[in-house]
Amino acid sequence: MSLLSVEDLVQTFPVAGSRALVRAVNGVSFTLARGETLALVGESGSGKTTIGRCLLGLITPSGGRIVFNGMEMGGKRSVRSPEIRGKLQLVFQEPSESLDPRMRLHEIIEEPLRALGLDRLERERLVKEAARRVGLPEWLLTSYPAEISMGLQQRVGIARAIVSKPEIIVLDEPTSALDPTARAEIIDLLIRLQRELGTAYLFISHDLSAVRQLSHRLAVLYLGMIVEQGESAALFSQPGHPYTVGLLSSVLLPNPKIKRLTQLKLAGEIPSPIDLPKACFLAGRCPLAEERCRAVMPPVETVAPGHIVRCYRTDEVMRMEQAVDYFGQFQAESDRILGAGVPRDMR
Amino acid sequence: MSGSPNMSAGTEGSAAKGDPLLQIIGLTVEFPQFGAASRPALNNVDFSIARGEVVGLVGESGSGKTTLARSIMQLVPEPGYISGGRVLFEGRDLGTLGPSELRQLRGREISMIISNPRGELDPLQTVGNQIGNVLRAHTPLDGAGIRARALELLRQVSIPAPERRINAYPHELSGGMAQRVVMAIALACSPKLVVSDDATSGLDVTVQAQVLELMRDLVTGFGTSLLFVTRDIGITAHYCDRVAVIYAGEIVEEGPRDAFFENPRHPYSILLLSAFAQNERLRRYWLGDTTAGASRAREQGCPFANRCVRVQDRCRVENPERREFGRGHFAKCHYPVER
Ligand SMILES: Nc1ncnc2c1ncn2[C@@H]1O[C@H](COP(=O)(O)OP(=O)(O)OP(=O)(O)O)[C@@H](O)[C@H]1O
Ligand SMILES: Nc1ncnc2c1ncn2[C@@H]1O[C@H](COP(=O)(O)OP(=O)(O)O)[C@@H](O)[C@H]1O
Ligand SMILES: [Mg+2]
Ligand SMILES: [Mg+2]
Repeated sequence: MSLLSVEDLVQTFPVAGSRALVRAVNGVSFTLARGETLALVGESGSGKTTIGRCLLGLITPSGGRIVFNGMEMGGKRSVRSPEIRGKLQLVFQEPSESLDPRMRLHEIIEEPLRALGLDRLERERLVKEAARRVGLPEWLLTSYPAEISMGLQQRVGIARAIVSKPEIIVLDEPTSALDPTARAEIIDLLIRLQRELGTAYLFISHDLSAVRQLSHRLAVLYLGMIVEQGESAALFSQPGHPYTVGLLSSVLLPNPKIKRLTQLKLAGEIPSPIDLPKACFLAGRCPLAEERCRAVMPPVETVAPGHIVRCYRTDEVMRMEQAVDYFGQFQAESDRILGAGVPRDMR
Repeated sequence: MSGSPNMSAGTEGSAAKGDPLLQIIGLTVEFPQFGAASRPALNNVDFSIARGEVVGLVGESGSGKTTLARSIMQLVPEPGYISGGRVLFEGRDLGTLGPSELRQLRGREISMIISNPRGELDPLQTVGNQIGNVLRAHTPLDGAGIRARALELLRQVSIPAPERRINAYPHELSGGMAQRVVMAIALACSPKLVVSDDATSGLDVTVQAQVLELMRDLVTGFGTSLLFVTRDIGITAHYCDRVAVIYAGEIVEEGPRDAFFENPRHPYSILLLSAFAQNERLRRYWLGDTTAGASRAREQGCPFANRCVRVQDRCRVENPERREFGRGHFAKCHYPVER
């Protein structure tokens, strides 16, 4: 049984002064196993944050089911129910905005423990343990958020998320506000914490190279619908949906020789999810779109075990796109370039 | 771009053909309230851009990228000031120009695109008006000529349905569209140099790719030079001819793109590159121990000495000179990496 299963999740929002609806999430299904990382990628406005907020019970879904540890959420049961409280946590994109500037770091980290009915000594012990795990020195804990760097602020956000020993952490773009070095450290930290604690991550990001490093599986979201889902390594090397190709070919790895070259360029930008097309949502931007793409929504097809695509033209996409592991190539090259000058025993 | 009269022909004999378009010599910029002991925001920077060249300037937050970009335009924000060095544009020392000459220069010969396109645009004026303002200020065009040129510019930056968009207000545009409008304004007078300061950082990667390609094509098509200021070293790898790395107000390495990425010399350049490597041992090695927070640049010696894994005693007292390692490939390091 999966730790988390989301079935046909739908989320709409009313538009002020009109009867139209913002259709942010349109029938999303996925599962998350213990200790696993599922990455959710897609352009901004594709519904990633909304899905995360549904999971955390910050908003009530308009439709679908969320089952956590065999318990269906909704009705009387929510993330605030005693059997779930503290088991799901969130890390935000902007550490500076999500940390209360008037609270000391140890108070911020302690917050999720307040509702758990632990005594003060136990709370202190857990805060210290969380701080140690994320690499925050104890003397720093009496500081205020404004006194520390963004990278350290994000460590505080992560310490707050792990302090209640959750089973799932939703990471909503945890690296995108950071400098490259701080970003690399946060990625390492997340990988190490998962190894030590076995926490499952829903990793929301449009930093695809971070996604490649962190995630086991990948779900590609466009206008609130999953257009492709599968093992990360497989999807990165052989994408089956034009939208996935569009995302992957936009990645700029720091090596001028390595880039996914493609004929499949997406035109234009993601539209607002108020008037959604009746058929394939991407048809207006897709270079392979044909008549049926504009007429009827393509069904979800399984192209390999665990790899699903929602596109009529997957065969064509796979024919056009070479199966190449660009990230693997990049890593091999960077091992060579970065290896120079490094003592042999440290390589 | 045919309409632009060839104004520079025959002026100031020093602006010969092979000369760089922009030449920065020993530029130093200080923000006084930091106290006399700290390092200047820019320290003795030498840097140049050739005609038609696309140069990337990459560095972390606070390294001095914006300060450098703005001092090219002689727009160092108060209380900062240029305390040393010169900025030569086509051989002219921009530090000697008066306010009205500088106003003429900005927008017409050098233009700047910054991030947060919406903040750049006036929310109360239509797109067409805002492009028109620039054209009115710097070109002899009027009325119908301005409208025609504005439409042409919107088309050049690939804005669909320009006849409709020309009457739009900024809030009616998506982030990518707004960025294209800002580009159209920057390109309106066919400038010789466009400086883009983190202009694509707020965009989705897909839209960023579109905008970057567009910028490069427009610029190369018209022989304009482009300075891409960015925190994203990936952008410099794919869109620039030459790359300069800035750390704590100093350009620590600079070189032709392929030479730089194949053979980075400065430990800081390698640190930036290692941030993308999956090999944790190599990454750990180059990143060093940073858990106690970012250490500040030293007051003397090499600015990077406090963070450098290859640091030696000499680095702490003597700031290395700029040395050439291969054609156009420079680094400031006592112990550069050899391959
Ligand atoms: N108006 C100002 N007053 C005081 N100090 C300033 C001012 N502007 C910049 N500085 C200082 O100059 C240095 C360089 O800042 P700058 O804004 O040029 O960095 P940057 O590389 O553009 O950073 P970012 O990537 O965050 O945009 C920093 O130490 C900064 O604190
Ligand atoms: N509270 C809300 N009210 C109205 N529309 C919303 C609300 N929250 C999100 N949306 C809309 O839903 C869509 C998906 O947004 P979001 O989940 O934030 O996407 P992402 O995180 O992928 O950028 C967007 O069009 C957004 O404007
Ligand atoms: Mg979001
Ligand atoms: Mg800046």
